[in-house]
Amino acid sequence: MTTVRKPARREVSLATRESLYGYGFILLWVIGFCVFTALPLAQTFLYSLNTVSVTATSINLDFVEWANYSRALFTDPNFIELLIGFSVETLVSVPIVLIFAMIVAMFLNLKFRFKGLFRVIFFLPIVITSGPVIRELTEQGAASAPGIANNPAVIAFLEELPRALRSPVEYLLTSFVLILWFSGVQIMIYLAGLQKIDRSVYDAAAIDGASGWETFWKIVLPSLSTVTVVNAIYTIIILSHFSENKVIRYIYDQTYNVQGGIGYASAMSFIYFGVMVVILAVICFALLRWARRSSR
Amino acid sequence: MIARRPWWNRYTGLRNRGMNPQGFHVSQLKFYVVLIPLSVLMLLPVVYIISSAFKPPDELFAFPPRLLVTNPTLDNFRDLFSRLSTSGVPITRYLFNSIMITAITVAASILVSSTAAYALSKKRFRLKQALFAINTVALMFVPVAVTIPRFLVIENLNLLDSFLVHILPVLALPVGVFLLKQFVDGIPDEVIEAAQIDGASDWRLYWRIIMPMIKPAIATIAILTFQAAWNNAEISTLYINTESQRTLAFYLTTLTSATTTANAVAGQGIAAAAALIMFLPNLIIFIVLQRQVMSTMSRSGLK
Repeated sequence: MTTVRKPARREVSLATRESLYGYGFILLWVIGFCVFTALPLAQTFLYSLNTVSVTATSINLDFVEWANYSRALFTDPNFIELLIGFSVETLVSVPIVLIFAMIVAMFLNLKFRFKGLFRVIFFLPIVITSGPVIRELTEQGAASAPGIANNPAVIAFLEELPRALRSPVEYLLTSFVLILWFSGVQIMIYLAGLQKIDRSVYDAAAIDGASGWETFWKIVLPSLSTVTVVNAIYTIIILSHFSENKVIRYIYDQTYNVQGGIGYASAMSFIYFGVMVVILAVICFALLRWARRSSR
Repeated sequence: MIARRPWWNRYTGLRNRGMNPQGFHVSQLKFYVVLIPLSVLMLLPVVYIISSAFKPPDELFAFPPRLLVTNPTLDNFRDLFSRLSTSGVPITRYLFNSIMITAITVAASILVSSTAAYALSKKRFRLKQALFAINTVALMFVPVAVTIPRFLVIENLNLLDSFLVHILPVLALPVGVFLLKQFVDGIPDEVIEAAQIDGASDWRLYWRIIMPMIKPAIATIAILTFQAAWNNAEISTLYINTESQRTLAFYLTTLTSATTTANAVAGQGIAAAAALIMFLPNLIIFIVLQRQVMSTMSRSGLK
């Protein structure tokens, strides 16, 4: 009996070893995440349930339950409007970014001269949207095209539209360029996805007499379905983090406002967070269902 | 891919639609018709930031703003440099801080994100799914809202006013783990199993197999982290009290902020010049690293 147990005690089982190595590799990240993200998040949630006043020496909390939340949701005239506006913008931007990135990636996956140069150019927005450049540009109004929205023909067109559609379409027209600038990384991810498709699959489809159009719907799109989910999540994250985002701006202003305060700003952050998670969940759920169906 | 076939039957596939001729061909014109206007849009911000820096005041304030400079001038830079010489701490000090901080941050954050991504993607342990979900969701939290709690954490760790405070909080770049995990997912398990059968240790597997195969993603993360670190003026404002510990980004914002400028008109010009100076390293890093992204993407193991 002892002879049997002995090796078992010395050697940890394979599965345990595997998971130990797993934890080992992820340890650094988990520590960093807990200290600099999870802990502050918990603290922020606590703040959101209090009225917070900061003095030179200490931070005083005054417990008010959900008052900050109800204020943000029912009293504040701006917050809800900004939040709805931003949600609509996100829901409009995500498909545009995805479609644009997919089309450009398919172009860049073809063979033609200066392909390398074009790939670099379309990847370039990565240094624009995450740096200080975009701030400068939006301040100057260069990112939007106000000229388009003031064009009489466009105004007439917008007035033809039903009310619910008007603001998304207007946003689309004025910020089209800005939306495109968000697609640098997504184009790259799509390109990597396209290159994973084996050439022989195309050949087989061609032999079976599939047209280019059919090849796209039956081969390319299903192969890109998982990548599309990744891109959708990435786009939502980047949009929700964008420093010129109006909701974030508003929350920032309120943090250091006498009437707002930290507690109130924290509550708004959590509401915003909740809304973003819901949007993410909805888009992912829809895309995942589609991905599962098309990969079958 | 293509190169595996000999050249004489390279383009004689059953249904070669004339899509892949070797050099330029008239049928390719349609690609350029679509791609060139779009790439002009993509280049616009870069052109704008460069030309702004050389604009004299009247052009900077022109309405509607014009993209290109008509009378280029170096006045903005001259104003900027004349400001530099009047400050207490030499600019080389800020520059040194920024370079050190950026280099260490990029290296360390690649290490942290890629090890985490490897574990999340290829290792089997219980909390895996939960950790990844938490990471993805937490990415979306408003960074502004955690500023004050984060300050308290940093204060409690005695990190205020230290060199490390520049690096540690930005290490976990939000999208890093997310993006890298997707790329590690793309590596087939067979490759890893083959390496394990050959007796590769976990660390060796990570370093020799995983890392080279996800190079495009690593390069992307490097570009993103570089920008986050290089342009970060916030940390210097919030957590640093000693002037000589602050970064170039912080210094340039103080130079251009409204409070220190005697007249707003000159301030705009200086801001434009400073923005160009801050932007150039981003562009250089991009140009250096894009080759990694592009070349490995076209013929790596990502197949």
